[in-house]
Amino acid sequence: MERMWGELTVAFSRLSMFPFFDIAHYLVSVMTLRQQQGAISVAWQNPLASWFSAMLHCFGGGILSSFLLGEAPTKFLENNTNVLLASSIWYIVFYCPYDIVSECYCFLPVQLLAAGMKEVTRTWKIMGGIIHTSKNYTDSWMVLIVLGWARGAGGNVITGLEQLLKGAWKPETIKFLEMSYTVKITLVGSVLFTLQHIEKLPIEKHSLMFCYTFFIVVTKITMMLTKCHYSPLTPFEIILGRMLFGLRQPEASALLRSTLKSSFNGTSTNSKPYIDNVENKKKQNKKTE
Amino acid sequence: MELLSALSLGELALSFSRVPLFPVFDLSYFIVSILYLKYEPGAVELSRRSPVASWICAMLYCFGSYILADLLLGEAPIDYFSNNSSVLLASAVWYMIFFCPMNLFYKCVSFLPVKLIFVAMKEVVRVRKIAVGIHHAHHHYHHGWFIMIATGWVKGSGVALMSNFEQLLRGVWKPETNEILHMSFPTKASLYGAILFTLQQTRWLPISKANLIFFCTLFMVSCKVFLTATHSHASPFDTIEGFICPVLFGSAWGGHGDHHHDDHDVHGGPSSLHAPQPPAKSKEELNEGSRKRKAKKAE
Repeated sequence: MERMWGELTVAFSRLSMFPFFDIAHYLVSVMTLRQQQGAISVAWQNPLASWFSAMLHCFGGGILSSFLLGEAPTKFLENNTNVLLASSIWYIVFYCPYDIVSECYCFLPVQLLAAGMKEVTRTWKIMGGIIHTSKNYTDSWMVLIVLGWARGAGGNVITGLEQLLKGAWKPETIKFLEMSYTVKITLVGSVLFTLQHIEKLPIEKHSLMFCYTFFIVVTKITMMLTKCHYSPLTPFEIILGRMLFGLRQPEASALLRSTLKSSFNGTSTNSKPYIDNVENKKKQNKKTE
Repeated sequence: MELLSALSLGELALSFSRVPLFPVFDLSYFIVSILYLKYEPGAVELSRRSPVASWICAMLYCFGSYILADLLLGEAPIDYFSNNSSVLLASAVWYMIFFCPMNLFYKCVSFLPVKLIFVAMKEVVRVRKIAVGIHHAHHHYHHGWFIMIATGWVKGSGVALMSNFEQLLRGVWKPETNEILHMSFPTKASLYGAILFTLQQTRWLPISKANLIFFCTLFMVSCKVFLTATHSHASPFDTIEGFICPVLFGSAWGGHGDHHHDDHDVHGGPSSLHAPQPPAKSKEELNEGSRKRKAKKAE
């Protein structure tokens, strides 16, 4: 049993991302772009701008991390195959006759499959970021965490920049302010993988990769199926916030109660305008993703 | 006797320029920087709503100068974060200032005499940073004066030059409050200091580096402590600029010191420079007032 587990995780950690998982990642990213307001009209009026923002969505993590490492931000263009793949997906998503691709994408199982595969690429990206950085910074774990985070969630972080490119500039929607679930879970993953990398975590790399990937895929699919916008991290966050940052008691407990209620019922009724606000923002974030 | 005093002064300057910065001076640099972050409107609410964003802002306040200088020199902007101990120290200060029970730490630190000591120590760090930045740039570009000046300036003024970006992290976007448009005293002093240090580095100024560091630090510490103690916003350069600028840039030069506080003011000419200063308000009040006005305008 134990040997089987080991073999399974090793085989999983050797999966090649290139054709299928990357396609899923590009598809989800470009579809996210397409579902934004005004994206289609931009694509018809100014294809180059649309292509560029699609590339930002697809390769945002790489761009952000190479910027942080002082490398050329255009390094992603080096990998011709991936850029061509992403460009062709951008093309068929936006300009396919009768919108066949986006019609297909609306079919829920396809969406679930693509989203699940995209989450798998996230693990690989975090790993890649940490390994790439550890060549230059051996014992500075903070840099490793930041770079893993940037690789994994960079696309989400720099969508603000992408909005600037399209002329729809809203400083309030910067991702640092209201971190979405994806950004948070990437941070957690980055911390875990960094701890593993500097050998502070008594677990093997493949097992960690397998467990983490399993966790994010399952939570993502559950969230998509139940249309629940609460992150599974919220209870921990509230407890931590109360302990570390002295979040005010009634507010925190109300938030906790409403979260728990909604995670059981699927719906929630709120009395406080503050919580309403938070919810709305979260929903908007989810929509823009 | 003169020789003796010169010798002892030189030695004093030399030993002063060799004092290690790390624990104590850096600590006061972090404390004062994060104190200024806390004065910003909305910073406290932000720290309650989203501690991560607040932490990133605090790190920008503490290490903004390194990040900017690295960006300018084409190195990794994240490079400084490999100094685990500095980052941890800054994080601890951030935590204590924002989340200490009963705001105890903040109250202690912002008590004026204590704050004056920290401000003085911060200026020591600033001058040292300028010197180090120019040395670093000189290492890469031997004859690039302007590069040296720019690097030294950026190192000295720190987060002030990237304040727009830092505000953006807090969800505030006010392109009209640009530091380069309304340069504050530390920014200007950093610029002039950077020019002096560059001249020294390229051997145009017949003075040793240790002495220059010593005198610059003395000047900065005395000015900044005086300004902080009197809650004044005026810069000691105002009078000199009042003489030089009309000569160099024509007679339509308005005092930009007043401009900072009052956007509606129409400047008649150089005579406005000699107008009596408005009664000294505290810095926070002034900041608050101008911000509120701007917010109203924006609405």
